[in-house]
Amino acid sequence: MDTLVNVAHGFGVALLPVNLLYCFIGVFIGTLVGVLPGIGPISAMSLLLPVTLSGTPESGIIMMAGIYYGSMYGGSTTSILVNIPGEAASVVTCIDGHQMAKQGRAGPALGISAFGSFIAGTFALIALMLVAPKLASVAIAFGPAEYFSLMVLGLVVLTFLTQGSMPKALLMACIGVVLGLIGLDSITAQPRLTFGRMELIDGIGLVPVVMGLFGVAEVLLNTEQAIKRDIINTRITHLMPTKEDWKASAGPVGRGTILGFFLGILPGGGAVVASFASYALEKRLSKTPERFGHGAIEGVAGPESANNAAAGGAFIPLMTLGIPPNVVMALLLGAFVIHGLQPGPLLITQNPGLFWGIVASMYIGNVMLLILNLPMIGMWVQLLKLPYNILFPLIILFTILGVYCSSNNVFDVYVMIAFGIIGYFMRKLGYEPAPLVLAFVLGPMMENNLRKSLILSQGDLWTFVQRPISAVCLVFAMALLIAPLLPSLRRKRELVALDEGA
Amino acid sequence: MTDQTNVKLRLNNSELWGGLIGLGLGGFVIWSGMKLKLGTINDPGSGYVLFYTGILMCVFAGSIIVAAITEGGPTLASRWENVRWSKPLLLIACLAAFSVVLEPLGFLLSSIPLMLLLLRLIDPVRWTLAIPIAVLVPSGMWWVLKRVLLIQLPSGLFGIG
Repeated sequence: MDTLVNVAHGFGVALLPVNLLYCFIGVFIGTLVGVLPGIGPISAMSLLLPVTLSGTPESGIIMMAGIYYGSMYGGSTTSILVNIPGEAASVVTCIDGHQMAKQGRAGPALGISAFGSFIAGTFALIALMLVAPKLASVAIAFGPAEYFSLMVLGLVVLTFLTQGSMPKALLMACIGVVLGLIGLDSITAQPRLTFGRMELIDGIGLVPVVMGLFGVAEVLLNTEQAIKRDIINTRITHLMPTKEDWKASAGPVGRGTILGFFLGILPGGGAVVASFASYALEKRLSKTPERFGHGAIEGVAGPESANNAAAGGAFIPLMTLGIPPNVVMALLLGAFVIHGLQPGPLLITQNPGLFWGIVASMYIGNVMLLILNLPMIGMWVQLLKLPYNILFPLIILFTILGVYCSSNNVFDVYVMIAFGIIGYFMRKLGYEPAPLVLAFVLGPMMENNLRKSLILSQGDLWTFVQRPISAVCLVFAMALLIAPLLPSLRRKRELVALDEGA
Repeated sequence: MTDQTNVKLRLNNSELWGGLIGLGLGGFVIWSGMKLKLGTINDPGSGYVLFYTGILMCVFAGSIIVAAITEGGPTLASRWENVRWSKPLLLIACLAAFSVVLEPLGFLLSSIPLMLLLLRLIDPVRWTLAIPIAVLVPSGMWWVLKRVLLIQLPSGLFGIG
């Protein structure tokens, strides 16, 4: 009963005209960046992070969340019609989605992708409503040792799932921790790694780092090649899947939803790994696995449902523990912090309007996305024809303005340009930026919790093992660190490796 | 990979360089941690986490170097093979120049040439389209930020903007 009252309260907040507008802007931009290859939700969210300052916390966070789950919908359009994934979570959709489009079945592919996403998004929200308050009440009992170990696990899972060698990903995570520690020590107030520059006393901002590593570096990489697009030119009809399509897709949608939701909750996991896992599961369960790769609708329905369910599930660790499970959630944490809010176990009780408002807006956003992505599909197809030689300079200009407006400080523009150049060379040498960014956000929290637990336990390192939750997290983290040493597990890791940690 | 691109004990092995840079950074972080005071395990100091993170960085960088020597890796040149490497290089040069002139010239006088250069350098947009975009977009953004959102952009020595 309490949940229903809270949901009603949430809808009261989400249905305010200003919040509806922000929700629409969020899902619209999300679909837009999902549709456009080369720009992901991370770049878009970092670009719009300063905009959240102008409104209430509810409005800003509703918009940011909309960009995230909106991009999951939009990404499938590009995958199906152009065979270029709009963002990392739609890579798998290319395999069967584009084949279906080539066979003249672009409509059912887009239709099942949108309906599957809607069903999964709805399930994830209901589960979020039920699970989050319970988990938050348990999380109140967490001490610094538990928080530290959970963050270590999150970082290790992300490095495990990142493409390329694990030592490289771990090195990136360490660099992220160090960058996060620049500025005044939160306990002793001693300046660290500031090199005598006043601008560094408060540390490096999240916005310039993310915009540089994901926005500017992405443009630099994309300019290396002339982007060729093989857009399906036929008229897109029959968006409503047939009875046979539904029969074939019901199982994959259900399984993808549940699998995606749980993979989304896991620290370090997220939409990308969920879509890959769902595709592998459907192929394994299919009586005719040879159809996969040649236009099997199950290969679209499962992953698309999984990535949307994961996008919903990823909100649980952030909202209940205050720990972002991936880079996108780290940016959302940044939006909370900008408004002076700290997500965690007390958020639901201290700020029920905010929590339930965000949850309710996500449901409204899902309905908006269904309308945006089915009847208006023609508009998004037209957008795919936008010339990149005009789009890329505009992105550069918007990132410069976005960074400047976030702090009114030219120094941040220099930081962004520097990280853009560093990010480009990192990618060229096979170093992924996702672990760096997550560690950058988690680094100061990890340090704080480590030092607190050492002070509380009077230097007894066993405190991390004697507390059960902490011990379980560390055991999992250790297992994942050792796993790549075993050849069979190393091959499995390469199969599920992501090219972006979102 | 061919013998030309997958090299072991040669200086142009890109994996080796990546590892060496990581090792150098790790060493610097250890030194910085020690300089800041480590404290004790009962009461860790400001440099405690930095010091141990630096050690971890050296360990991971060391393992990258060992893998580069034993398993080899692509050459630096092969990383830029079959791509238009001059385009990102030009873009980097433009951004570097922009960062130098942003404060002295101000936002408008620095961003209009930047846009024009980017529009002409990446995949050349015809002049009749490039000039209006380069002038109107930064001017429009400047107007919205300054007049509507009341955000002061750098106006430079000439006070334009």
